[in-house]
Amino acid sequence: MIIEFSLKRPRTVIFITLIITIIFASQFPKVRIDTDPENMLSPDEPVRVFHNQVKKEFGINEMIVLGIVRDDGIFNPDTLKKISEITDRVKRIKGVVADDIVSLSATNNVIARDGTLIVRPPLQRIPQGPEDVERLKREVLDNPLFRDRLVSSDGKGAAIYIPIVSKEIAHEVGEEIRRIYSSMKGPERYYMAGLPLAEDTFGAEMFKQMAIVAPLAGGLLMILLWFMFRRLTLVLPAMVVAMLSVLWTMGAMIGMGFTVHIMSSMIPVFLMPIAVCDSVHVLSDFYEKYPRLKDKARVLREVFGELFKPMLYTSLTTAVGFANLAWAKIPPVRVFGLFVALGVMFAWLLTITLVPASLMLINPRRLEEIKGRNEKSRLLSAFTRLSVKRSRLVVTTGVLLLAVAIYGVTTLRVNDNPVKWFKKDHPIRVADTVLNRIIGGTYISYLIFEGKDADSIKEPQVVKYIEALQKYLAEHHLVGKTTSVADVIKRINYVLHDEDKEFNKIPDRKETIGQYLFLLLMSSKPDELDNLVDYDFRKANVWVQLRSGDNRDMTAVVESVSKYIKENPLPEGVKIQWSGLPYLNIVWQKLMVKGMLKATVGSYWVVFILLLIQFRSFWWAIISMLPLTFSIVFSYGIIGFAGKDYDMPIAVCSTLTLGLGIDFAIHFCQRFRQRYLKTGSYRDSLLWTTEGEPTIAIARNAIVVGLGFLPLVLATLTPYITVGLFFGSLALFAGLTTIFYLPSLVEIFKGRLA
Amino acid sequence: MRKYILIVFIVLLLCPGLSFGITAREIMAKSQEAFLYPGKDMKIRVEMRLISSSGKVRLRELTMLRKNFGPPGGQQKYFIYFHRPADVKGMTFMVYKYPQRDDDRWLFIPALNMVRRIAARDKTSSFVGSDFTYEDVSGRDIDDDRHDLVKEESVDGRDCFVVKSIPKKQDVNYSYKLSWIDKESFLPLKEEYYDLSGNLYRVFTAEEIKDIQGIPTVTKRRMRNVQSGHQTEVVFKEVSYDIGLTDRLFTERFLKMPPRRWIK
Repeated sequence: MIIEFSLKRPRTVIFITLIITIIFASQFPKVRIDTDPENMLSPDEPVRVFHNQVKKEFGINEMIVLGIVRDDGIFNPDTLKKISEITDRVKRIKGVVADDIVSLSATNNVIARDGTLIVRPPLQRIPQGPEDVERLKREVLDNPLFRDRLVSSDGKGAAIYIPIVSKEIAHEVGEEIRRIYSSMKGPERYYMAGLPLAEDTFGAEMFKQMAIVAPLAGGLLMILLWFMFRRLTLVLPAMVVAMLSVLWTMGAMIGMGFTVHIMSSMIPVFLMPIAVCDSVHVLSDFYEKYPRLKDKARVLREVFGELFKPMLYTSLTTAVGFANLAWAKIPPVRVFGLFVALGVMFAWLLTITLVPASLMLINPRRLEEIKGRNEKSRLLSAFTRLSVKRSRLVVTTGVLLLAVAIYGVTTLRVNDNPVKWFKKDHPIRVADTVLNRIIGGTYISYLIFEGKDADSIKEPQVVKYIEALQKYLAEHHLVGKTTSVADVIKRINYVLHDEDKEFNKIPDRKETIGQYLFLLLMSSKPDELDNLVDYDFRKANVWVQLRSGDNRDMTAVVESVSKYIKENPLPEGVKIQWSGLPYLNIVWQKLMVKGMLKATVGSYWVVFILLLIQFRSFWWAIISMLPLTFSIVFSYGIIGFAGKDYDMPIAVCSTLTLGLGIDFAIHFCQRFRQRYLKTGSYRDSLLWTTEGEPTIAIARNAIVVGLGFLPLVLATLTPYITVGLFFGSLALFAGLTTIFYLPSLVEIFKGRLA
Repeated sequence: MRKYILIVFIVLLLCPGLSFGITAREIMAKSQEAFLYPGKDMKIRVEMRLISSSGKVRLRELTMLRKNFGPPGGQQKYFIYFHRPADVKGMTFMVYKYPQRDDDRWLFIPALNMVRRIAARDKTSSFVGSDFTYEDVSGRDIDDDRHDLVKEESVDGRDCFVVKSIPKKQDVNYSYKLSWIDKESFLPLKEEYYDLSGNLYRVFTAEEIKDIQGIPTVTKRRMRNVQSGHQTEVVFKEVSYDIGLTDRLFTERFLKMPPRRWIK
């Protein structure tokens, strides 16, 4: 009925489409962008709540780390002056927590000179003579609070830790810092790293990438379609369907007040290839049938007669598959799933209205040159012969390959690292590598010790426990540096006893510890110890700096601490708890992987049930699911064999496989069955389906989708590259199994399928 | 001619700063005398609350003895005994304040039975870990700043001079200070410190003034770091002037054994 209307009143249909488009497009100015991967978790997720509480209690902020490297060493008046100057200028950047900057010229050291206790930063003034410089060098490198944290042991690199009020401004502040050090002349090299910077920069670059990649994908799609149909008049409707479904979906999302997040920024790139699929079927069929009938309305009626059902079902299964993501615990994934589902239905609606309407308006003369092919493809015929005649061999080979792929899946390693979202030569990646080599690590996580009462942390046994745990962690190859209040107490004890090595330890009495801390607080600023203990000394915060941001490595460190605690019980009444961005990321990853897996498995069953309803045949439903199953297992198997980590982008991909993989099989089965009902001949139906228009359309779609994602490979951010390659391979596998494997299965199981 | 005198007279009336014939420097000098140098000596029991931005409190209780040596603006000696927190009870702290050079500071650590000299890094560093600086407690040389009378304004119904003091040398962590000086008692009722980028960062308020032995005394004050949210509240629980502190008290020997007579 809709189709009849579109055929009779094409201009009205186009007019209505235009109106709707304007309404959706008018929502765009309201767009709000959210680039924080942390928002993948609900704001009330316990780990996020704790993380924010820790940040507030300990006055901790996310850190940008700036490294200054000079090959002949940083201990010379010139470089030291630059460090001091950069520190001063960074302090004035808006959004930087000036009081908490950790730098040679800002962080207090406790020393004794001529019997006088001095609390001041080592680089309070720039040393002039060589002896002066040498003295500073000794002061810093002999001090565990500075060595490997602020200066590398070999003296070639220094670091400044720059706390910022919130992660969202990391990129902006980073640019300010870059401006400051760029203005410095000399042999020093500068490197900027830190998780907040990586995450925020990723967000900033993501949108740039999408602005380049989405049009590229659109352009490539158009070129592919043109090669298939050679008529701009035929390509254009498909392209318009793709564009409008993207536009409507984004408009609806923005209009309903959702922020554009990392996930939803990918909607256009995902939706476009899926959206053209239906139109490609229609155009393909139209293209084959037109030369025979030469009457647009008749051709279209026939085309939609055949295609209406399979198109509706493929769109529905795809949409339901995506909508099922709404069960995931991850808010952006929910939004993503629901709106892609909506977009798929938009695309379907446009395919059955706008496509026939615009085809009706094409001048018939322009279609005259369409020759149509012989309805058969030589290549496909060869395939078919092989898969039908040697069906057993093909099926057995397939099963064997499946077994190999399953083995590949078992080798998958769940891991992620936001820094690795950048290519190896990206400045953030380079800085990360260099800084983690010279200082104790740019990945700062926090291990919180919490006692029962105020002043619990001053108990010698607690401080000694922390010290012992730090010693244990220092042995761990992934941990570059740890810092805690124990280091401070030891330092004061050592200095007060005239740097007698004997006293480089934790005192045995609680009062002594209390008086040391009081002494330090008395001789410095009120928030001096805030990063290491809470206000009433109930909690202590141990900084654990990791050299790697891989979630796998953070997990290993967390596990080894748990093991240590099992073997060496914590002091009475003391609990520990991890926090910090690296820790947040592993919790997030667990939720993400589990959530995505659950959603995918759920969608898988929903799709199966839909197919059962559609075919009213158990075996047909099973058969239709097979290409999908194969392509998923193969794609993941390849990832496993390639040794690539199962990371956030791949997890996201897994939820999308269903929508793409199932379509080809539905088209194949549905049209085979239609033909079978019409002719009653099993062999004729199989040949018609495999060699004729249905398979040609499927092959075209496989190529469109497979290559359509390729532009993503040009992106400079690795998640997009991963997604592009993954979907390319997925579409090709799904196409291949449908064209090559399904006929063999149908041949073998024909008894059950009839 | 008489008309002109009348005009000048009216103008003088309208500008009380001028009418008093007092300069900004004189206001600040008088204020320092009233605020930091009252009496020959003084003994106070102080309760100090350090309050974090999230409202958590560290309590400190101490007895402070102060003796003036020379005229207002001159040398002073301070002796501080900590009663609380419990684990630092018995810690003592002594400061010799000199007008033209760095302070001398000593600290006694009971756990080690050890007296240590502590370097006076600069006068704008924190006083015993509070939001007050040593300068806030013991004053700053009048001639280290250029003082300007900016305006007159009332604070809580009291008429005040508002003086802007700009440090002559860049040896402090603020660019200028505004002081609201009570015209009657010459006590500062409010002070605002502006950081090197010109933004407000510390605010002092005198919250309670009592007359003690005929001397108006700020018995409750607060210093708030508006940028970090941290603040310090100081309450004088007992105040007495001219109690006859001896010079001998301010020596290392008494740091270790504070005289019971002065410290209960």
